[in-house]
Amino acid sequence: MEKNHFKDINQYVSPENSAYSKKANTVVSFVYIALSVIMFLPVLLVIIISFSSEDSINEIGYSFFPKGLSLKAYGYLFNSGGFLGRAFLNSLLITAAGVVFGLMLMCPIAYALSRKEYKLRRGILLFLMIPMLFSGGLVSSYMVNTQIFHLSNSYYALILPNLCSTWFIMILRNYFQNAIPDSLIEAAELDGAGHFQIFRLIVAPVAKPVIMTVALFQTFNYWNSWYPSLLYLDSNHTELYPLQYVLVNMDRSIQTLVRDTQYLSGMNAYTPPTITIRMVMVVVVILPVMLILPFFQQFLKRGMTVGAIKG
Amino acid sequence: MNKASVKKEIGYSKKKNRDLTLMALPAIIWFICFCYIPLFGICFAFKRFTPVPGESLFKNLFVNSKWVGLENFSFLLRSSDMPGIMFNTLFYNIIFIILNIVIPVFLAIFLTELHSEKLKGSIQMVMVLPYFLSWVIVGYLVYAFLATDEGTVNHILGFFGKTAVQWYQSPKCWRLFLIILGVWKSAGYSMIIYLCAITSIDRTLYESADLDGATFMEKVHYITLPHLTPTICTIFILSVGNILNSDFGLFYQVPMDSGSLQGVTQTLDVYVYKALMQQANFSFSAAASFLQSLVGFVLLMVTNNIIAAIDRDSSLM
Repeated sequence: MEKNHFKDINQYVSPENSAYSKKANTVVSFVYIALSVIMFLPVLLVIIISFSSEDSINEIGYSFFPKGLSLKAYGYLFNSGGFLGRAFLNSLLITAAGVVFGLMLMCPIAYALSRKEYKLRRGILLFLMIPMLFSGGLVSSYMVNTQIFHLSNSYYALILPNLCSTWFIMILRNYFQNAIPDSLIEAAELDGAGHFQIFRLIVAPVAKPVIMTVALFQTFNYWNSWYPSLLYLDSNHTELYPLQYVLVNMDRSIQTLVRDTQYLSGMNAYTPPTITIRMVMVVVVILPVMLILPFFQQFLKRGMTVGAIKG
Repeated sequence: MNKASVKKEIGYSKKKNRDLTLMALPAIIWFICFCYIPLFGICFAFKRFTPVPGESLFKNLFVNSKWVGLENFSFLLRSSDMPGIMFNTLFYNIIFIILNIVIPVFLAIFLTELHSEKLKGSIQMVMVLPYFLSWVIVGYLVYAFLATDEGTVNHILGFFGKTAVQWYQSPKCWRLFLIILGVWKSAGYSMIIYLCAITSIDRTLYESADLDGATFMEKVHYITLPHLTPTICTIFILSVGNILNSDFGLFYQVPMDSGSLQGVTQTLDVYVYKALMQQANFSFSAAASFLQSLVGFVLLMVTNNIIAAIDRDSSLM
């Protein structure tokens, strides 16, 4: 990895040596702003819908310019008893576990692979590459996970099968190998430090940008995951549903929600704003992503390289 | 000779090697459990799976089920849905391979030269956002536009005096919708990959081109594009290796699994899922995924070798 990779992609071209004249810059900037706005419109629409009043939706549908605003759907969700809160906590739990355990598995092996003197290095590299090319397929992993490991209807099914990825291990290894001077590690070895100590005290702090990058990718992967729930959770285990899967099963979920609320509040006449509720839940899922994204961008600039496999 | 270089020549001591192996071990166990054990399941594709309830998976697969050779494959390929499914899979993938290279490269090249650092950062952030939304969420974003009664599109149509369309029942426009969505979701992310690649080009090349009086397009043609070729090739080779795979969420969740849209939305991954979860047809599902990885692997190798023959540096391996 050359030094170039650590250059900030936004500082690479300064205004003085840009190919654009002032006028051209204004025009191109405008085009990009317009494009970004268009790309953002779907998300904006859902945010607006979540604040629209039920009357407005009945009258003019999902509109960028609602006739009335209301927080009713939000209020309804927050008072809806345990169901949605539980789903939110499930998503948080799965994400946290996926990130922490994923890094605990991937960082140490990546460090071992980054040591050129390590005897089993080539063998383990090959061992990690093979699953990238061959896999047993959906049927096989489904059968193994359900019948051998008995993961159905448990949190494990949502966490374990996606913890590691060869791709991430390679990204970590390349960084450990190229960004941390060998002399630093050799000096520590001479001082009698073991590999566990070297990794914890020297490598991990220096490699923070790449570790954070992988952590953020894991965060998004787990926060967005719904396919494992679709495969491994059945309708008798709604207490395990993460937010994403609640949204997959929205029609049934809204019924549960209504039932719970009626049970809790003891009133039957109240009809919830069902149309907006689903959009509120979508916003609840999108918001954390939008909040983390700026942090992600900081690391993205430095941690990412495509030719990771080659190094 | 100092101590360090002696160490280097004789390699690591037994204890040091053992420590490193200990560090690698947890991940190795994970790979055995979740990647290597399922590998034997390739056998599903060559068996007629007839499980006896209550017996272990291995016994059911290897003892209770009969080898049928390529029978599953011939049934699968002869089934009447298959031509349509294959066409869809290849159609969308070929379009995505082209668009997901051309558009992001184009976006990255013109974004790099913008003057304002802040603007560049903000544009990247907005454009990369869709990449980090799940297809379930995207499905709802699309629903807001296309819902029959409340959908934005139908209300706009109504405003112009046109009748409402039942979008989830009319397959006509869905090919276009799915292509736009696929590009919308991944363009920003790929753009950042190419931006990183552009950043590693030596800027003095452009300065000397300026002295020679090169125009912007000439610089793009003679400097930027050649430097992006290895990255483009890497992405191209990897996507060709996935030519029979597709984004399950895009084709299953976004159209809300609507039966009337199946003709244009069913791809091989949707088939693999449905054969497994809805029809419990293990052998067909396994045969279809085996076909995916086999064809993918062969194409990946072929493409890689062709590219290696043209330009060694641009190949993957």
